[in-house]
Amino acid sequence: MSLNHLFSHFSLKVEAFFFFCCSPRSYHRFSSYMASSLHNTPSAAVNGTSVADAKSRLPKRPRLLADPTPPLFTPSDILSEFSHHDPTVARINNGSFGSCPSSVISAQHDLQLQWLQQPDDFYFNQLQPKILQSRTIIKDLINADHVDEVSIVDNATTAAAIVLQQIAWGFAEGKFKHGDAAVMLHYAYGSVKKSVEAYVTRAGGYVIEVPLPFPVNSADEIIHEFRQALQRGKQNGRRVRLAVIDHVTSMPTVVIPVKELVSICREEGVDQVFVDAAHGIGCVDVDMKQIGADFYTSNLHKWYFCPPSVAFLYCKRSINNSDLHHPVVSHEYGNGLAIESGWIGTRDYSAQLVVPKALEFINRFEGGIDGIKKRNHECVVEMGKMLVEAWGTHLGCPPEMCSSMVMVGLPACLGISSDRDALNLRTCIREKFGVEVPIYYRSPKDGEDGGVTGYARISCQVYNKVEDYHKFSDAVNQLVHNAFTCASLPN
Amino acid sequence: MQHEDPRNGESAHRSSKKPKLSSKFITESDTRDEFSHHQPRVARINNGSFGSCPGSVLTAQRHWQLQFLCQPDAFYFNTLRDGITASRKIIKDLINADHVDEVSLVDNATTAAAIVLQRIGLSFAEGKFQKNDTVLMLHCAFQAVKKSIQAYVTRAGGSVIEVRLPFPVNSEEEIISEFKKSIEEGKSNGRKIRLAIIDHITSMPSVVIPVKELVRICRAEGIEQVFVDAAHAIGSVKVDVKEVGADFYVSNLHKWFFCPPSVAFLYCKNSTSSSDLHHPVVSHEYGNGLPIESSWIGTRDYSSQLVVPSVLDFVNRFEGGIDGIMKRNHDEVVKMGKMLAESWGTNLGTPPEMSAAMIMVGLPSRLCLNSEEDAVTLRSHLRDHYGVEVPIFHQVSKDGEEEVRDKDGFITGYVRISHQVYNKLEDYEKLRDAINQLVEDGKTCKMLYTE
Repeated sequence: MSLNHLFSHFSLKVEAFFFFCCSPRSYHRFSSYMASSLHNTPSAAVNGTSVADAKSRLPKRPRLLADPTPPLFTPSDILSEFSHHDPTVARINNGSFGSCPSSVISAQHDLQLQWLQQPDDFYFNQLQPKILQSRTIIKDLINADHVDEVSIVDNATTAAAIVLQQIAWGFAEGKFKHGDAAVMLHYAYGSVKKSVEAYVTRAGGYVIEVPLPFPVNSADEIIHEFRQALQRGKQNGRRVRLAVIDHVTSMPTVVIPVKELVSICREEGVDQVFVDAAHGIGCVDVDMKQIGADFYTSNLHKWYFCPPSVAFLYCKRSINNSDLHHPVVSHEYGNGLAIESGWIGTRDYSAQLVVPKALEFINRFEGGIDGIKKRNHECVVEMGKMLVEAWGTHLGCPPEMCSSMVMVGLPACLGISSDRDALNLRTCIREKFGVEVPIYYRSPKDGEDGGVTGYARISCQVYNKVEDYHKFSDAVNQLVHNAFTCASLPN
Repeated sequence: MQHEDPRNGESAHRSSKKPKLSSKFITESDTRDEFSHHQPRVARINNGSFGSCPGSVLTAQRHWQLQFLCQPDAFYFNTLRDGITASRKIIKDLINADHVDEVSLVDNATTAAAIVLQRIGLSFAEGKFQKNDTVLMLHCAFQAVKKSIQAYVTRAGGSVIEVRLPFPVNSEEEIISEFKKSIEEGKSNGRKIRLAIIDHITSMPSVVIPVKELVRICRAEGIEQVFVDAAHAIGSVKVDVKEVGADFYVSNLHKWFFCPPSVAFLYCKNSTSSSDLHHPVVSHEYGNGLPIESSWIGTRDYSSQLVVPSVLDFVNRFEGGIDGIMKRNHDEVVKMGKMLAESWGTNLGTPPEMSAAMIMVGLPSRLCLNSEEDAVTLRSHLRDHYGVEVPIFHQVSKDGEEEVRDKDGFITGYVRISHQVYNKLEDYEKLRDAINQLVEDGKTCKMLYTE
């Protein structure tokens, strides 16, 4: 079967999904919800038009002859762009694996085809200029000074390995003393914790975890714990060589006041600060100069509509961190991290090359990425409040400390009493109710009894509809009604 | 009605009038169809660099990718791990490994080298190895591997021995002899050789190395571990990891085994020496063994690792399966190599039995290919002006060595031609004619810089 056949086969499937999910009821709810989101945003402005103009804009803007700006997406456009999503699933977990619209996937297919057609020519003439183009766009998006500061890697997990391997060399080569410290949050991502074990603990470093309260009530609580942890880090004449700080923690999800924490690190003489912002770009404001970290990484396939997978690693130019290397060493070794990362052996680099297309997609939303972030945030807070009201529980953090995701307390009677329970409940909700949502187990503190021990992390992205969250609300209500407990689930 | 392609080596006695209900093997036109996405105007005689992937496997890959995009969480929890295990099992059988635990899937040989060498680096850092303990490699090892040695061995205080192999080469004995000499040199200063890295098929210049014999020598000489870099092997030579006997063996599946970019297997002989091997990109699977660590290194597109079953279906449509393909590729590339050498009045870089699906063919000395830059320039010129894609090697003359000549001077450049199932006679004729044209026009490499 030729490649032409397979492309038309793919688009037929897309059509089928589109018609499937466009039932009158869901379309009506979705379109009215998204219509209100798209067109009533108070501070929306696109391409320099005034707020007033943005407010009065009709969904189908008449195109002028020489108008280079593509029209804003309509609700039906958006349905179409995500028609490959399983229509039977309330997909309220954009946080885990992200999402990618079909126009970006299509651009990716084109690039993959170009490689397959004549890989040598692509390698010698196309690949590096296209990677540079993506890096340049990212540099502007994140307010970095120079494109040399921007490397593209697979994901935040890879970026962590790059930064931490450098720390390991510091110990191995005697730059650091045995027992020098690295500080990270207790809620750091599982892979990052393992990476710290593999590269820091193993090399002789001492690791301090910053305990964070959850539920959390204010940024001050976090700042307080962080300061204390740094003090512990500096005890016994230890130097704190690295602080690893999440911008938006994963489970449980909370927006961390990174700017303040970075400042504290500088005050306290921490050598290097690495911000793990896997959920950063497209979800919170990402300004390298404002945040001031030495290293900052974010996945573009989570909230920036790129296909799996692509992330950037920003490295502030300084003699302090000139010795970073990609662990997969190619002939580019020694030419700087950005160049090293641009070729780590034969692979499919197409996900790194569609950043321009993702930007194009984003700019067809009112307010661009800022508009999307704002509406996602408002949506997820609104839906979160709707759920906690329906269940009689609470949110895991105040609205200003959440981004496009929020933790929603689950009814205590569900009896979530372990990580395993949380995972099993998640599976049950997926398989029996068609809702995809990750669940977090929070062990009760001393004296707590019969309180909320489980939280769902709901996400909101442009393809979500009110119906998705109602489906989840109904599912949990059903479980409660049936006197369901996690103890009844098979292990 | 099956079209008999004489190049497939089918014996003459098969009657083309034998009635068939359906075509048992893939036809020539099916094969053309499978590779119809290749740029038609290019004589693509460089399968060795980036490999190739047929349309039916690409379709299978799209299916996997769509499944992930459709519902990634369900895919991650219910599908991905089993899919990777299925691929690993197939590979285990193909390479005659004992246990599927010995087989990890990684992106490419470059990644596998980093895995093995990072562990060597750690051994130096943690005092298990002494300063100046040694790693031995071939002088013509792939550049990425050389840099990986620099990054992980030299930096950690280890020393390196490079084995210079003769080229052109006339027999396996020449290689074995050089290898033995280098080991002696290595051990002469009381240094311990911790690791030998041996290519199964070198890249540039391309030669099939007698790995089994060299591994045996390593064992006899007390070299601790042997890593065979067989990037080109699977699908181009027989791969039997027990027979080869190395501790580590890596091969890319996207080069000669029809997988899409990119996927490779790293075989680690199941023994205590291969524990404590880690993927450098650490995920939550850290500590669960290399195959499991490698199966999840963060969110990525793993689809190229999942299509191995589809690839097996594809190769089994050919007469003799992968063995048949390998034999025909070898016979063809030797035939084409001889045709070119004869037309240009030059030589082959190796005897036929030391080549697999690639062979080095001497370029006419009149082209005056005198540097790496000349080689790059000539290659680009052939691509841009003649629609021929072929890598070119500059042979550096060594003091005291007898050099090969053609009727006009010393042969200092070689093309590395490949043959894969999609290649046709016209591809090589195009190259032949292009070079003859350049020679006829009196062109040297230097003159091509400005064109």
